Amino acid sequence: MSPFDRRLFTHLNWTLLLWSLALFGLGVMNLYSASSLRGEGGMTTYSFYQKQMLWGLFGMGGLIICSSFDYRHLRSLAWPLYWVSLGLLLTVLLTGESIYGASRWIDLGLFHFQPTELAKLSCLLLTALLLTRTPTLLAWSSLGRIMALILLPVGLIIVQPDLGSGLNILLLAGGMMFYHGIRPRVFWTLSLAAIALMPLGWFGLQDYQKERILTFLNPETDPLGAGYNILQSQIAIGSGQTWGKGFLEGTQSQLRFLPEKHTDFVFAVFGEEWGFAGTILLLILFCLFLYQIIMVIQDSKDRFGHYLAVGVFFYFFWQIAINMGMVLGLLPVVGIPLPFLSYGGTSTLINFCFLGLALNVSMRRFVFKTD
Amino acid sequence: MFRSDQVNTLPADRIVILQAAILLLFIIIFLRLWYFQVYKGDVYAQKAQANITRIQSIHAPRGLIRDRNGNILADNRPAYGLAMIRENSADVQATLQQVSDWTDVPTSKLSDRFEQGRDKVRSFEPLLLVPNLTFDQLAYIEARIHNWPDLNIITRPLRTYPYGAPFSHVLGYVAQANEKELRANPRLTLGDMIGKQGVEKTFEDILHGQKGRKHLQVNAQGRILHSSITQPPQPGSNLDLTLDCELQQFVWESLGDHAGAVVVMEPVTGKIRALVSKPGYDNNLFVRGLSMEKWEDLLHDPSHPLQNRLIQSAYPPGSVFKLAVAGCALARSEITTSTSFYCSGRYRLGNGLFRCWRRYGHGRLEMKEAIARSCDVYFYNLGEELGISKIHSFCTQAGFGQKTGIRLPNEQAGLIPSKEWKLRRFGQPWQGGESVITAIGQGYTTSTPLQVARFISALVNGGRLLQPLLQHDASPRVQNSLPLQDAHREFIRQAMIHTVEGKRGTARRLRLPGATIGAKTGTAQVVRLTKKHEDKETEEIPYKFRDHAWMAAFGQQGDASYVVVTLVEHGGHGSSAAGPIVKGIFEYLLDPEEAG
Repeated sequence: MSPFDRRLFTHLNWTLLLWSLALFGLGVMNLYSASSLRGEGGMTTYSFYQKQMLWGLFGMGGLIICSSFDYRHLRSLAWPLYWVSLGLLLTVLLTGESIYGASRWIDLGLFHFQPTELAKLSCLLLTALLLTRTPTLLAWSSLGRIMALILLPVGLIIVQPDLGSGLNILLLAGGMMFYHGIRPRVFWTLSLAAIALMPLGWFGLQDYQKERILTFLNPETDPLGAGYNILQSQIAIGSGQTWGKGFLEGTQSQLRFLPEKHTDFVFAVFGEEWGFAGTILLLILFCLFLYQIIMVIQDSKDRFGHYLAVGVFFYFFWQIAINMGMVLGLLPVVGIPLPFLSYGGTSTLINFCFLGLALNVSMRRFVFKTD
Repeated sequence: MFRSDQVNTLPADRIVILQAAILLLFIIIFLRLWYFQVYKGDVYAQKAQANITRIQSIHAPRGLIRDRNGNILADNRPAYGLAMIRENSADVQATLQQVSDWTDVPTSKLSDRFEQGRDKVRSFEPLLLVPNLTFDQLAYIEARIHNWPDLNIITRPLRTYPYGAPFSHVLGYVAQANEKELRANPRLTLGDMIGKQGVEKTFEDILHGQKGRKHLQVNAQGRILHSSITQPPQPGSNLDLTLDCELQQFVWESLGDHAGAVVVMEPVTGKIRALVSKPGYDNNLFVRGLSMEKWEDLLHDPSHPLQNRLIQSAYPPGSVFKLAVAGCALARSEITTSTSFYCSGRYRLGNGLFRCWRRYGHGRLEMKEAIARSCDVYFYNLGEELGISKIHSFCTQAGFGQKTGIRLPNEQAGLIPSKEWKLRRFGQPWQGGESVITAIGQGYTTSTPLQVARFISALVNGGRLLQPLLQHDASPRVQNSLPLQDAHREFIRQAMIHTVEGKRGTARRLRLPGATIGAKTGTAQVVRLTKKHEDKETEEIPYKFRDHAWMAAFGQQGDASYVVVTLVEHGGHGSSAAGPIVKGIFEYLLDPEEAG
């Protein structure tokens, strides 16, 4: 094996990298606006955007690592990673530190590690592996097996409680399976069962989760409480109107009417300052980004790589869809960040790692031919 | 490595699912964004505007209260308060702690205020924490407040009463509206001052004015970038009273250490020149917010400084009431001005023995002399002759037992007993002896000094019962006419003059050369004296058992005409205790030297 194959570079999907870097750049710029003038009570200004840039650097490191090795080695890693992440999730549940009332972190001294993120990766890998080995449309048995394996970590994540991440994994795996194909009878039976079971699922939710769904259905009932975020984010976005208020001119986000504006609600800040013109551009950029992942899927030359890229696609797709849907009042508020735009260390790192996987697949689409 | 079948079975046709997913996402988000930002953009822009535009109310200065000569009795001066805008607060507890450090107001009290204001004051409006800062505090805080974006110094007009206690009962005071008042009047907000007593309360509508509105544009720190007044405040209207500031103070002084009440009234118009109830209180204290201890002190002070003795206390009218009984006898019985009775110092009715104040009696006397010398026996006779029903109906028409309608809160009606009243009240029939003592103003009869002044005025002004007026520009309002012929009324008036001018009149000390003075003294028994006290001089009787001293008088000189009614609590005899005060007032009001 040659020490370095120049084709790795030429085959790399540079457009995908470009779009994602553009999104990250917009994200940092937007965070600069969201975190500026954040002086509260004469206290220190907190610069999220600088930290975010630092996380971006870490992310690039993760991207390089995740794209440097041959992704096919991940096939053998899928099962061990799955069990490790399951173990960590259990550990976190039993001993994890409680932050904001949720135990999601393991203190590694240097930083807090979120096993949830590892679970996302391992579930993606495992689903890809299992689908790779299933040549036919999914029947009850094969679908049930994958679902059982996915629901194990998802259940552990939801009880943390982190509904957003749990949902993310579930939808990611679901998307992959749907993409693979499910037998029609199985599909319809499942769909009907899901609808029928929805009321039952309601009782399994935490009180605050129920509240979120109720306020989603009618945010005006509690304009200062749970409905506050939704209303304020809609005011911020709507008041941007066609052309926006301009960079750093967003009054709603600047004035602290908009909480969590640097994490799950960054899109509202963007929408206020750049208006319809800006949000549509951002939307197009996201679509182009997703489209490039499709290109990776299309060009992939082996089933595992193919499904890996499909997983990456759904990973991003659902985050974008849920986050925007939530900020725009189409979905209940669940804590899901907007890829590359939301502030957050772990999510930025993981986003770049997943991107690295997609690039990995794109880089090595022709490699095997020369071996 | 890969087997070729793996490559060949790649589900390439499935890509269309992903493309459809992207397309669906795009369309839905696009439509939703269009709906919010383009279709409903205006609406949200307005909502956003409301978020950064804060509306503050501007307090309207309260109308001034002035006396008849334009002296200001109730003024406004700027007061500085410390308020919090909740929304700008990063840490409410820290802020409250800081405010407490600055102002020495305990944090528990500030917390209470904060909690109280929570549902009444919107989060971006100032919630008043400390209503009054001293100038030292103001200067200190002013220099440090910039570190606390949630704290604001707000300026409000604060009521001041430059003359204090002498005017306390008339003017009353303003204070912060309480919970009940806030609920009753939706226009009020927490911290608003409203009239709670006296003229401030009854003329609240005139004095209050209307708050203005100010639009403020604020930045992220809550700092004001721009402000504009969209609705200027409308100051309350000024109120000119009939009172004479100097006279009021003079009367206050002349009461000395006595507790009592003095009303000076113009008999022709019903206008009140002076209205003094002593002791009073400093009404400024209430404006600044009275401490609980201070309030308790005032409330439980044995001299009842909060009581307006002119209208809120009903006293037995004593001999002053004989004027009304005399009028009743002339109007409703066979008795004439020349009817005479013999006074031996005692009067027998059935088994009862009633004594005259003069132990050895007055001998035989006619009505005029009986009034001047205040003979009890003469009036015992009238009482028996008239019976309670006639006394009740006549005196009620003369305004006794009825509110005067002066525009001050909590006026008492006093009481003229009747057979029906006694049956209702005690379940017992009326006794003849009770009519007898009613005739000298004792027994169940009570009246307020203001009622007496209204009655005396009617005697002087031709029989018109006037509403006592406090508003300078108000025109006289006749409530009723005395049911007396002019001749009889004039007879009583002359009898009052005789009480002053006559050789043995009880109000001889009121004589004032050049002026026509008429009067009637009265001594109202506080308790029926025990044998032990009966023969003792006033000074020997314990204070709380001493009688109340009345003096009801009128003075005329040229066009000037005044009625002065004075009550000195536990002052003993009317003549000695109340006389000098009334004389001083007439000396002040009339100008005997010039006329003489």
